[in-house]
Amino acid sequence: MKEQTSNPVGKSVPRVDAFEKVTGAAKYVDDMAFGPTLLYGKIVHSPVAHALIKKIDASKALALPGVKAVVTGQDSPTLLGLYLKDRYIYAYDRVRYVGESVAGVVAISEEIAEQAAKLVEVEYELLPPVFDPYEGAKPDAPLLHPDLGKYEVVNFIFPEPGTNVSEHFRLRKGRVSDAGVSDEVWAQCATIVEDQYTLPQIQHAPIETHIAVAQWNPDGQVTLWAASQSPFAQRDLLAQSLGIPHGNMRVISPYIGGGFGGKAGISIEANVVLMAKAVPGHPVKVRMTREEEFVATNVRQSLVAKYKIGCDKDGNLLAMDLAYYFGGGAYNDYGVNIARAAGYSCTGPYDVPNVKGDSYCVYTNHPIGSAMRGFGMPEIHWGLEQIMDRLAEAIGMDAADFKRQNCVRQGDTILTGMTMPNVDLPQCIDKVKEAIGWGRVSKPSAPHKRRGKGLAIMWKAPAMPPNPGSSAIVRFNEDATLNVYVSGQEIGQGAFTVAAQMAAEALGIPYEWVRVSANPVDTKYSPYEWQTVASRLTWSMGNAVKAAAEHARGQILDIVAKYWGEDPADLDIKNGVVISYKSEREQSLKKMVVYGLPNENFEGWQGGPIVGSGKFMPTYVTGLDPNTGQGARAVVHYTVGAQAVDLEVDTDTGQIEVLKIASAYDVGKAINPDLVMTQIEGGAVHGLSSAFEGMFFDAQGRLRNPSFVDYKLATSLDAPREIHGDIVETPLEDGPWGARGVGEHVMVQTAPAIANALYNALGVRFNHLPLSAEKVYLATHEGEELTCKA
Amino acid sequence: MRPFDYYRPETFEEAFRLLTLPDKRVMPLAGATDLIPMVRDEHWQPDVVVDVKGLPGMCDVVEMPEGLIVGAAVRMVELMHHPLVNSPRWNLLAQAAAAMGNEQVRNRATLGGNLCTASPAADSAPALLTLEAKAVIRGAAGERRVPITEFFLGPRKTALQKGELLIGVLIPAPPVGAVGTYVKLSRRKAGDLAIVGVAALAYPHDGGHVWCLALGAVAPTPIRASEAEAALNAGHDEATIEHATKCAFDACCPIDDIRASAEYRKAMVSRIARRAIEGVLAKLP
Amino acid sequence: MLHEMSLNINGETYPVVVKSHDTLVRVLREQLGLTGTKVGCGNGECGACTVLFDGAPVNSCMVLAVEAQGHRIETVEGLSQGGDLHPLQKAFVEHNAVQCGFCTSGMLMSAKALLERNSHPTEQEVREALVGNLCRCTGYIRIVDAVLDVAEAGS
Repeated sequence: MKEQTSNPVGKSVPRVDAFEKVTGAAKYVDDMAFGPTLLYGKIVHSPVAHALIKKIDASKALALPGVKAVVTGQDSPTLLGLYLKDRYIYAYDRVRYVGESVAGVVAISEEIAEQAAKLVEVEYELLPPVFDPYEGAKPDAPLLHPDLGKYEVVNFIFPEPGTNVSEHFRLRKGRVSDAGVSDEVWAQCATIVEDQYTLPQIQHAPIETHIAVAQWNPDGQVTLWAASQSPFAQRDLLAQSLGIPHGNMRVISPYIGGGFGGKAGISIEANVVLMAKAVPGHPVKVRMTREEEFVATNVRQSLVAKYKIGCDKDGNLLAMDLAYYFGGGAYNDYGVNIARAAGYSCTGPYDVPNVKGDSYCVYTNHPIGSAMRGFGMPEIHWGLEQIMDRLAEAIGMDAADFKRQNCVRQGDTILTGMTMPNVDLPQCIDKVKEAIGWGRVSKPSAPHKRRGKGLAIMWKAPAMPPNPGSSAIVRFNEDATLNVYVSGQEIGQGAFTVAAQMAAEALGIPYEWVRVSANPVDTKYSPYEWQTVASRLTWSMGNAVKAAAEHARGQILDIVAKYWGEDPADLDIKNGVVISYKSEREQSLKKMVVYGLPNENFEGWQGGPIVGSGKFMPTYVTGLDPNTGQGARAVVHYTVGAQAVDLEVDTDTGQIEVLKIASAYDVGKAINPDLVMTQIEGGAVHGLSSAFEGMFFDAQGRLRNPSFVDYKLATSLDAPREIHGDIVETPLEDGPWGARGVGEHVMVQTAPAIANALYNALGVRFNHLPLSAEKVYLATHEGEELTCKA
Repeated sequence: MRPFDYYRPETFEEAFRLLTLPDKRVMPLAGATDLIPMVRDEHWQPDVVVDVKGLPGMCDVVEMPEGLIVGAAVRMVELMHHPLVNSPRWNLLAQAAAAMGNEQVRNRATLGGNLCTASPAADSAPALLTLEAKAVIRGAAGERRVPITEFFLGPRKTALQKGELLIGVLIPAPPVGAVGTYVKLSRRKAGDLAIVGVAALAYPHDGGHVWCLALGAVAPTPIRASEAEAALNAGHDEATIEHATKCAFDACCPIDDIRASAEYRKAMVSRIARRAIEGVLAKLP
Repeated sequence: MLHEMSLNINGETYPVVVKSHDTLVRVLREQLGLTGTKVGCGNGECGACTVLFDGAPVNSCMVLAVEAQGHRIETVEGLSQGGDLHPLQKAFVEHNAVQCGFCTSGMLMSAKALLERNSHPTEQEVREALVGNLCRCTGYIRIVDAVLDVAEAGS
């Protein structure tokens, strides 16, 4: 304890988890030891995209020496899901994507489990598949979920039984009807852009694949160790689905090797629990291979988006007519809320008087579309932020000025009828313009190269139920070091570090005195946290930590006040010492925070071990009208930001080199500015990488690139050398010290910023992700004769 | 991973005994960077793998009167830095080795493995084609040498017979003054497979230059672009270069795959060939 | 087929019995408990399992354990000596070059090998040396800065 950082909020203190991680000591699920009774599970995946299951014969697998059990959907036909309970843990009567879990094999070794999985014989009767969400939403499309009307669903999601639409969000604002924006409004537009943009499914590709270990004891106690962003949500879903009392269901989650949303909600964990149920008392481990990770866990949804947007001659946006068809994949238990989020934020960060928006989540026979960093926002901004540039160009305005003129500002009545909370998007735009040298043309590095700059802005609200809660506990030790108990997961974003900073700040003790006791998060001992998603931890968990620390602080001040015979209001804690502003007395926290303080002449004692608890739950979010999407408060808040890209294109090959990305986000208050910067940098490269990523399926729905050989992530050479970040701090009313989240936002608009820069360089628009050198080349060399002799 | 047995023979006699074990699927192992993923994914199901790295000469680079003999188990990283390979004569091979994979892969992957996998996109192949190398093949019956052009029969098909081993490559010294360039186009800047790879080599002859040009990833096997070479042998003014790149374009017959369409590959052949040619021209005195 | 042999890891000799098809990373993690080396793809594409093999970075998922006999293996656990962090580890901490931590061990090993063969790399050389180590969190910039910082400090 050499260094003493008092008042650490706002300071770039070092990460609490860094030492463990650089020494290889940090434990992830696969690093935990489970002893000699450990068994290994392997999931049998469907090889077909859409089929009825006629028969499953596991006899050959069971006959293999070393095989302990085979479980199938017949064993436990229970439905599972976060917002919409639409999937069986193991396929029951039909499969809906290549990769779906059909059976689980448990054996004494990984090799035997793998071998046995191949011996499970499944007879399928093929059904016509649906791959395109727009086609799939049509009334005559083959139906994937005939029972959609029977599934249990939360009250803010609106499936359309008898179709493949699992969620339909309607937004109606101004002079619009279900038929569209009024013709009179369109007539006022000086220019209108109408176009379609699409994105393929992409994968989170955390470096750690999904892994889970489960043990079902004969006494009914069930334990799951999982690489999970959502230990409590998983406990709840498993308990509900499998009829386990919540108190008997325990989820333990240590460090996780990257999440990005892929480890939110529930994926393979229930499958492993059912395997464990078949071999009572034995832990069963399932570690997904990279190939399985691609097809059989979660992916980002695809999107077909149709836009019609108009503005007047002065560049004022007048109308938007938007239709978003999310390719939700085979099961939309989480994905429905992505379409909903895209619906209530469908305009992007713009103030538009007339809006008709329809956002659909559509079942397709592809992998399960689920939460991914940005949660619908990267998808809708891809087209929106290009169309804004096109409108600006059409009326002869600078694109950045156009965006600045139309962007949301504090006090605006935004699309849902909600009043826009305090954020400063214009300042973000100004910052990135300056950082990128907006309007200045740079010289290319070679005659066959072109330079271009592009800019895009974004908004995103935490997308979640109205009332997700956080709680925290702080507990003092004899030497006044403090343990902070939270269940927000450290997925790399620095959650533990900011929790420690906030606890120290609120209590008045040095940062170095705080230990975060959240590794692993253990639902048996850790305080409740909904999920590590939605960029909500700094804000929501932070509020809980602050409340817990203040609770503890209040107890301490009461004790000392009694001991001194003073008013607690005159006391404070500074740098770990209680002081009185009135009497100028001082009292160290050491020992007293556990043993209390003796009364004068040792006539009894004050106090006792200090334990503070705190909670936070937003209580003000209202429902929205299902026909119009209107309501008083659609979301808790929005984080906004701007990004600009400077790139160079090789016109001979189409290769794109992003030279610089500049970002600015309004985070309310940077609890740890350098950690905010690491989010900005990492997010920019994630966004850049995602613009070149795509899952490519064949006509049977089989993934053609299920490995890093052909699903390429950006490497150290592909990442830009220069990543600039500006932090804007417009305090959030109910954020701890004014903070709001920024973890997801940092990648939302990178792809359209790149597309806008490409247009600036080449004069060519790209409507369909992923980008590639090939696409750029072919688009800029149309009509080239490419018939060769050989 | 499906279990197999591992042996590391130190004599060829023992190696050939193992390679011809009755009723066993036997595969040689060098750098393992292809073998392990192929076994893991069950494309290959060997019962026995024979590590060839202990066999005499397999890891050696030796200069002989007829040229450079590079053992089949010499790793890419060694090709990059070996004083003989990375000399003016054979430096093209060092360039190709450097273009392959990433650091971790180059520290394991071997020249023999790169060739025996017989991927049309193998980075070392175009270089060896232009250097007119010969595959040195040894079997129980003895040794034979096969021009590298005849070594590749198709994707993942080579001239190796059952029980035979590629033990090395003989690379004749190109004439004095030869310079070469390998240019590779891939999706990512490094650590990726070639969409197109072009090796070009030229040396002074009779007051002019003789050119060798080879193309990777644009046909079922790596190929020589002989018409392009003939064109360049006549001179290298802009019109000739343009014509030569057209010849290279005409020599290829790529396919669509996940990495690129045939269309894009075709378009890129002439562009990458031009870069390779210009790279050579820049080095010519 | 079993092989009774010894492995030299971080300067220590470990007697082990391995199966022919056991990869080096499996033996490191499951037999020896050296779990700092991670498995990210099992395919030689992500670099999370990077260890040094006679000083050179290799993917330990692409090496059979039996091949490692007689060679010098270094893992992340061997980096810090006598309780002191290796300069690279210190720099990774100081630069916030760590987020989820899953690629960190492999990154450190690749960086160590680079600085051992080239004590003054350029930014380009650092980036080239790390191409085989995928990171999904950081955007690489802090990692590159950390390595360059150590190189500079060593001059």
